[in-house]
Amino acid sequence: MLRMQDISKIYRTDLIETHALRALSLEVRDGEFVAVSGPSGSGKTTFLNIAGLLETFDSGTYELDGRDVSRLSDDARSRIRNEKIGFIFQSFNLIPDLDIFDNVDVPLRYRRMKSPERRKRIESSLELVGLAARMKHLPAQLSGGQQQRVAIARAIAGDPALILADEPTGNLDSLMARQIMDLLEKINAMGTTVILVTHDPELARRAERNIHIVDGVVLDAPAQTPASQRQTAAHAPRAAE
Amino acid sequence: MSLNLRPLLSALRRNPTGALLVTLQVSITLAVLVNAAWVVHQRIMRIEQPTGINTRDTFVLQISGSSNQFNAAAAESEDLAYLRGLPGIVSATVSDGVPLTGDGGNTGVWIEPGQQGQVTLTSELGMDQDGLKTLGVRLIAGRNFRADEIQPYVPGKQAPASEAIVTESLAHALFPHGNALGKTIYSSEPRTIIGISRDFMGPQLGQPTERTIIYPRLPGQGGYYDLLVRTQPGKRDALLRLARKHIAAAHRYGVVVDARTFAQNNRRRDSGNRNVAILLALVTALMLAVCCLGIFGLTTFNVGSRTRQIGTHRALGARRRDVVSRFLVENALILTAGAVLGSVLALLIGNWLTLHYAVPRLNMAYLAAGIVTLVAVGELAAWQPARRAARIAPSVATRTV
Amino acid sequence: MLGYYLRLAVKSLRRTPGLTALMVGAIACGIAACIVTLTVHHAMGRNPIWWKNNVLYAVTMDSWDPRRPYDPDRPTVAPSQLTYLDATYLYGSDIPQRKTLLAFVQGALAGAPGQSAPVWAMTRITTAGFFHMFDVPFEYGGPWSAAADQGPQPVIVLSHRENQRLYDGRNSVGRTILWNHLRFRIVGVLAHWDPRPRFYDLTGGGSGDFGGSARAFVPFRWGSMLHLFPIGSMSCWVAPGAPPLQTYRDLLASNCVWITMWVELPTAARRERFLDFVNAYWAQQHAAGRFQRPRNNHLWKVSQWLRLHRIVSNSSRLLLRIAFAFLAVCLINTVGILLAKFLRAAPLAGVRRALGARRGEIFAQHLVEVAVLALSGAILGLLLGIAGLAGVRALYAHSYSAYGKVAHFDLIGIAWALALAGVSTLLAGLYPAWRVGRTSPARYLKSQ
Ligand SMILES: Nc1ncnc2c1ncn2[C@@H]1O[C@H](COP(=O)(O)OP(=O)(O)OP(=O)(O)O)[C@@H](O)[C@H]1O
Ligand SMILES: [Mg+2]
Repeated sequence: MLRMQDISKIYRTDLIETHALRALSLEVRDGEFVAVSGPSGSGKTTFLNIAGLLETFDSGTYELDGRDVSRLSDDARSRIRNEKIGFIFQSFNLIPDLDIFDNVDVPLRYRRMKSPERRKRIESSLELVGLAARMKHLPAQLSGGQQQRVAIARAIAGDPALILADEPTGNLDSLMARQIMDLLEKINAMGTTVILVTHDPELARRAERNIHIVDGVVLDAPAQTPASQRQTAAHAPRAAE
Repeated sequence: MSLNLRPLLSALRRNPTGALLVTLQVSITLAVLVNAAWVVHQRIMRIEQPTGINTRDTFVLQISGSSNQFNAAAAESEDLAYLRGLPGIVSATVSDGVPLTGDGGNTGVWIEPGQQGQVTLTSELGMDQDGLKTLGVRLIAGRNFRADEIQPYVPGKQAPASEAIVTESLAHALFPHGNALGKTIYSSEPRTIIGISRDFMGPQLGQPTERTIIYPRLPGQGGYYDLLVRTQPGKRDALLRLARKHIAAAHRYGVVVDARTFAQNNRRRDSGNRNVAILLALVTALMLAVCCLGIFGLTTFNVGSRTRQIGTHRALGARRRDVVSRFLVENALILTAGAVLGSVLALLIGNWLTLHYAVPRLNMAYLAAGIVTLVAVGELAAWQPARRAARIAPSVATRTV
Repeated sequence: MLGYYLRLAVKSLRRTPGLTALMVGAIACGIAACIVTLTVHHAMGRNPIWWKNNVLYAVTMDSWDPRRPYDPDRPTVAPSQLTYLDATYLYGSDIPQRKTLLAFVQGALAGAPGQSAPVWAMTRITTAGFFHMFDVPFEYGGPWSAAADQGPQPVIVLSHRENQRLYDGRNSVGRTILWNHLRFRIVGVLAHWDPRPRFYDLTGGGSGDFGGSARAFVPFRWGSMLHLFPIGSMSCWVAPGAPPLQTYRDLLASNCVWITMWVELPTAARRERFLDFVNAYWAQQHAAGRFQRPRNNHLWKVSQWLRLHRIVSNSSRLLLRIAFAFLAVCLINTVGILLAKFLRAAPLAGVRRALGARRGEIFAQHLVEVAVLALSGAILGLLLGIAGLAGVRALYAHSYSAYGKVAHFDLIGIAWALALAGVSTLLAGLYPAWRVGRTSPARYLKSQ
């Protein structure tokens, strides 16, 4: 799914240079569920942004879905983000003016999808997160957990191959956090690769594989979950769900 | 109140384009405001120039023959007799031009025979001995025409009249050292100055309009004539209607072309200046309003988008007036920059107006007044949103927006 | 996608109604000010017969006083009218394809059915060429014949308004009417015709260049037949020792200029030949003692004629410039507010970018918002402009100045308004939309 080789990223400001990533290398297979953890400021978000083509990097190579995406134009990167990647943010980042339906609609619009097709996808993804009844609500009318579930629906509506989630549970209580995690596992079980940044060791433990980023490099840690169980789920054919 | 400029400047630096745009707006507004006010002032001065004529109780009837059978001389003496017999009429005269309207002749006048030497251009106005009284123009030297100097018009063999009354301005233009009275001047024929009148605006509207030469009118000349009438106060409109009706029916071959009060004529005369002044003032006022609304809008917007930040400041101990003064000082900085740029612009525009539109050089007092006005109004525009900012509760800092 | 952007734009504009009103109002005011001044300016400066600009020529000769120029401010410019002597001589030439003479006389019209008293009707004495040369449209009938000019025959053409007044707009051709107490046959009635500026006669005297136009037309020679003094503009100079002007015969022989002359010269060759003819006449008269000023014979195209007479007033030009400065302030205002607004919403643009929107799409989305503003501003500005023009007309209703009289709105004005509003506002929105379009997708996502 994703192969990074010696990626480095340097943030330059007037005063200092910050080496956010130092020759980071990582490979994530199709259908994997990876949890990323590490101390604050270690470069997790930077890694995720690069993985999601939100940011460029200074050196190294990055292959996404078998294609080298190191030197793509901004438009091409937008297109890949739109079609292959779904984002889930800590602060939800819903668009406050738009109701739930329209929020989930956003990525589909940029894919120039026909209206009936969009409606079908929006409805089914909202159903998956259990908010089909709230389609006409504005984000402000929902709780934090519900908002995050809308964000998840938005991320999966375009049927991406890769979901990137940056501390999606950071603003939620532990019950909510577990529900969100359940959802992510469900999505993963349908064949979507998930990369999750989290500080919560309990959540991280539920992932198939754990990665530590410290000071801009990956310290690979052994998976703590029974791999066999997750493996089967991950490789189950999508139609079976 | 402590003013720490560094955080302000950094705030400006964060959205420099916005600040720059307001500066630009303020400077253009200032430049236009100052120059427009200056031009309006010039126009108003021209409007307020006294006409020198009684424009309250006077009206004019313009009569024209509609055939070569029209006996203008007979018709005008008939009309004059009728008008002078009407109760309520102070005085009536017949003329060949109408002051304040542009309707009338102009001529060149020389002080040497044979039209030699320097020529002075002037309005000319033929009237009889009642002319000055009708217009309400006082004679300040010499005498008026006598009735016997107004001779009947005999086509083909007219002895030219040889008297003239000139206005003060014309007398001064011709004879800068005084003693115009009794001198002979030359236009198409020689005339002796028998009287000098106070200045009044003559028929010709070009400058200087106060220069007028009055000579005894040859009755009936030209097949048309103008009746100038002065009434007792308050009777003008009724008498105008009456006289118009009577005279319209009186002549078989004559038509009343126009009937109008001098007040109307005067309004038409200065309406050009007045209207330009009105339009300029209007556009400038709108511009100032838009500029202030712009400042108001941007400050409101800044307050809105910095709500949390302001709340945090408040939570950390900033007083309300610290918040208000912060916004006002920020705005004042922008206004000052605008005023500096605007002053340069104003002077450039003023210069250009002087060159191309004959507007006098811009008075610096106007520039100063313009700056004060703009800064004051601009601060006022920012004051309301700044106060709203000060009312932001410290607690917003802890709430998510 | 456009529909989607439109929906987003409306949502965004409605979220900040105050700012939206401010921007639309400011644009509308600026546009309105420009519309008003532009319409007037345009109307004053336009050439109403541009399609004949290269064939119609006004004729001038400097017959003025040898000792001083006609216009002391512009000493090289000849009087714009001709003396009777010169006009009638030049009119005798058959080099021009068409030619005409113009002056105003007094006229009294009487004898229409149901008419009680004669009415004053400013009458243009001219020749048949007038109607042909200036493409004057007729409602009924047509111009009089060349023979009628010679006679002169008692034929008259009524203006549209006069026919309305006297005959209720019915076809009056063939009827007899009393013009200055003589029986005249109506041969034509004009359709509504009021070109502005009144290019063919810019010497309106007291009524201004845009003032009242003629109510009736009769052959030129009737003026001298009936000894009708001209009532339009007339300027005279008297040589020293010459007797003053008294009789009509004096006028015809005098130095007074009061006749406007136009000729139609379709080719350059004819133009040269006619100018040679004028110059030859000048030389002959010069030798005989007239025309003692430097030779200044000139044929003016309509466009040159308009410029010569400084039809566009300084006030108009000044107001136009101020209006554009005003529009500039309004637009800068709009740029500022749009920029602040768009940048404040930049995090949302960042979210959209993360979800796969391209830069162009974000740019387009915001530009559509600007376009909605521009359109609203244009429409409101148009309405304000129409009201403003009505105001200007009212303001100038009793003025000699031509400024307000031409303040009429036409399709061109509307096109101008929409174009001006559209282009200027879009330009104003370009930068803010571009700025927000460049939002990096990651920038606002980390910390919010
Ligand atoms: N836009 C930026 N400009 C400069 N430095 C940056 C920028 N973004 C991140 N950094 C720096 O890069 C480093 C990595 O940041 P990053 O956000 O990836 O950390 P993180 O692992 O996500 O931390 P946290 O767990 O606190 O979210 C940090 O030292 C940070 O200061
Ligand atoms: Mg982070």
